[in-house]
Amino acid sequence: MAQQYAIELKGITKTFGSVVANNGINLNVKPGEILALLGENGSGKTTLMNMLSGIYKPDSGSIYVDGKEVSITSPEDSKRLGIGMVHQHFKLVDVFSAADNIWMGREKTGLLLKKDRYAEIEEMARKFGFEIDPRKKVYNMAVSEKQTLEIIKVLYYGAKIIILDEPTAVLTVQEIQKLFGVLRRMKEEGHSIIIITHKLNEVMEISDRVAILRKGEYITTVNTSETNEQELTEWMVGRKVDLNIPRVFMEKTRPLLEVRDVTIRSDEGAVAIDGVNFYIRGGEILGVAGIAGCGQKELCEAIAGLRPIEKGQMIHKGENIVGLSPKTILEKGISMSFIPEDRLGMGLAPSLSITDNMILKKYSDCKGPFVDRKTGRKDAEDVIRELEVVTPSADTPVRRLSGGNVQKVLLGREIKADPNVIITAYPVRGLDINSSYAIYNILNKQKESGVGILFVGEDLDVMMALCDKIMVLCHGKIMGVVHAHKTTKEELGLMMTGALDLIYKYEDKPAGIAKDTRFGEQEEEA
Amino acid sequence: MGFHIVKRDNCPLWKKCCLYLGAVVLALLLGAVLLISLGVDPIAYYTRMFTMGTVGNKIAYKVWINYLKELVPLALVSVALSLAFKMRFWNIGGEGQFILGAISAAFVAFKAGGVLPNGVTLLLMCLAAMITAGLYGLFVAALKVKFGTNETLMTLMLNYVALYILVFLGEAKADWNFFLDAESARPVFASFAKIVSFPGIPMGGKFTLNICVILTVLIGILVYVYLRFTKHGYEISVVGDSAGTAHYAGMKVNRIVLRTVFLSAALIGLAAAFKVGTAGILSTAITDDVGWTGIIVAWLSQLNTAVIFAVSALICVLHYGSTVAAATFAQVDSSFANMLQGVILFLVLAADFYTRFKIVSDKKGGN
Repeated sequence: MAQQYAIELKGITKTFGSVVANNGINLNVKPGEILALLGENGSGKTTLMNMLSGIYKPDSGSIYVDGKEVSITSPEDSKRLGIGMVHQHFKLVDVFSAADNIWMGREKTGLLLKKDRYAEIEEMARKFGFEIDPRKKVYNMAVSEKQTLEIIKVLYYGAKIIILDEPTAVLTVQEIQKLFGVLRRMKEEGHSIIIITHKLNEVMEISDRVAILRKGEYITTVNTSETNEQELTEWMVGRKVDLNIPRVFMEKTRPLLEVRDVTIRSDEGAVAIDGVNFYIRGGEILGVAGIAGCGQKELCEAIAGLRPIEKGQMIHKGENIVGLSPKTILEKGISMSFIPEDRLGMGLAPSLSITDNMILKKYSDCKGPFVDRKTGRKDAEDVIRELEVVTPSADTPVRRLSGGNVQKVLLGREIKADPNVIITAYPVRGLDINSSYAIYNILNKQKESGVGILFVGEDLDVMMALCDKIMVLCHGKIMGVVHAHKTTKEELGLMMTGALDLIYKYEDKPAGIAKDTRFGEQEEEA
Repeated sequence: MGFHIVKRDNCPLWKKCCLYLGAVVLALLLGAVLLISLGVDPIAYYTRMFTMGTVGNKIAYKVWINYLKELVPLALVSVALSLAFKMRFWNIGGEGQFILGAISAAFVAFKAGGVLPNGVTLLLMCLAAMITAGLYGLFVAALKVKFGTNETLMTLMLNYVALYILVFLGEAKADWNFFLDAESARPVFASFAKIVSFPGIPMGGKFTLNICVILTVLIGILVYVYLRFTKHGYEISVVGDSAGTAHYAGMKVNRIVLRTVFLSAALIGLAAAFKVGTAGILSTAITDDVGWTGIIVAWLSQLNTAVIFAVSALICVLHYGSTVAAATFAQVDSSFANMLQGVILFLVLAADFYTRFKIVSDKKGGN
């Protein structure tokens, strides 16, 4: 007898206009297994999963649940069939409590909101092994709590098949481990799980089988135990890819940017960065690691002059830049690019063309009342060519580009300004392997030309390979600066959670300064 | 069998034009149904309406002059509103800004008319109207910038403040109130048409082209260039698209908001000065609802300055034409134009949906 699949897709095709998002996809998941769905940006993973959750309808093809052909035309259908999806962008009502967010989607709620819903949901959550306060409002929740809530919601509706779209993108190492624990437990209870992710190490760790999509086509499904990261990448990208990020060793120059005893407040008035000391030299990449929201954003904004500095100094080439306007700081050659969670909110105007976005920071440099779009267009065409941006033309609105291309445009503009210090936060956020490596190459090239780079990142593996030194922030304080090739992931993880404080480990060492600092000499020379 | 909605990649221009034109035709057909039910021949009515009674009329030039008098304020207000809308500042206070502009222009006309040379008085009228209206808009912008108030509510409510100031001036029979006709026992607005008004340029025959028309077209071109090619225009589009990005690029966002809203409101004030300066009298219906209609025109034109002129010309034909037709067809009130305008707006929005999406029926086996 053929094996019964929990869910099986046969020949699924979906097109958007002239774009074929999915072309004849076959996919199956056994009961009680974790299937990783792997593919680059735009390979159709999310589209495929959205068809399972009833958001889209396939143009052709059939879906079988427990061996029976089904038709999913709405999210209700999907729910009834026991399919639950945790979206990349959470679908929660911010002003509702945890319990109400679950309650509102129930089939038979009745007219009245009863008090016992809190108890019922808390008990249900405990049964699955979750800790959650059912009365807590969503806007008060951390990202990981929101995700937990989404998972509880799906379980509460009785889902047997759970789809998670890039669940780890917003979590820290420790939170990811916790999530994986939850997934393993659900698997033991007989749930089938489909997990979408870009991160190969996670695929290797958590999944039983891996299905690979490339440009809307189904490539293959393999057992995780019989494959390796290199092989998966080749399937995913369609050619051989060197997974090593080269670290270029450069002759180090004097510090380009020194930050001394800087304290910065967040929008809410809390201390976001607390007496921080560090410096960036020309030709080096200084990584900044930390759990999300530990002052990274405030630090970047303060360096770029967008946020007032409460106390302390920032010295760029021997000159204090505290209190200068963003424009003056930019003219001194400090460029900042920050990719926020929504990826478009800062640094780019989404409805404007690439050309118009190119001139964003220098539109006022030319004489007269008119904007100089000619050089803007030339810059745009240069960036499109040099960084291989995929776009119909330089006049295409940035909003229409895919994530990787948007980020290339942003970095391209920053580099075009010929900076000597680049502050870049999450430049590969949400990007697939190919685009990420393109970005790493761009950064390495800048480093080779003597630019000092502050790289705020999420992926510790990448930071350890790309950066020269890594500075760890925890609640606005520096936990230490370590050499990237000497440290370990565990050490960084402990520092990120504040469990290991290297600054006070060696008491003779000044706070936040790596052993080979020439900070003292600098002061004497000055 | 079901169907589903699919996003269109790109809608060619000719298709868009056809869709919008189709929407207008469909609206007219719906109007025709209504006309037939009233016992009116729709063809005769529409002919009368769209020719605005110029055919077989010995004084057709007068029709054109009056038509342009209606068109000028509407086109100028729409252009002015598009400035603020481009920045996503929802200025729906066109009415109020227009009224205050009109009062200031009339104030100057009464005080300076006959005393100063006509040209100077007219210039002062324009300036006074622009500054008053501009400040009225600036007030809301300043509140928004300073305290984050909602500009939609503020401008909306201030419309009524302005309106009631005008009503008060129109009804307060007192010695100080020079806005009213001193000789009339009842409170009626005094006319200054004989003292000062915008001159017309003879264009051969009896038709004279009012200088306001030329100025309006000129301002339209200037605003187009301003939005399209200047640094200010660039700033407006960046701020409108993403204020965070504008701040990040080192733009002084607050200043840009204040400046643009002032400019938008000032141009509305100018439109009021043109209106008052050609009508020669205030009235509580001085705005002719241009503050509202202008919003519709600006959106129908998708904030494109050239299209604004075309759309406002069409809307004015509807309005003016329906007044003319109402004289012939007693059964149909001139507010038929308002209804028609509403239907057109509704159908054009529907057509807009079809330029971006298409409906596909499910293929067999595609469940």
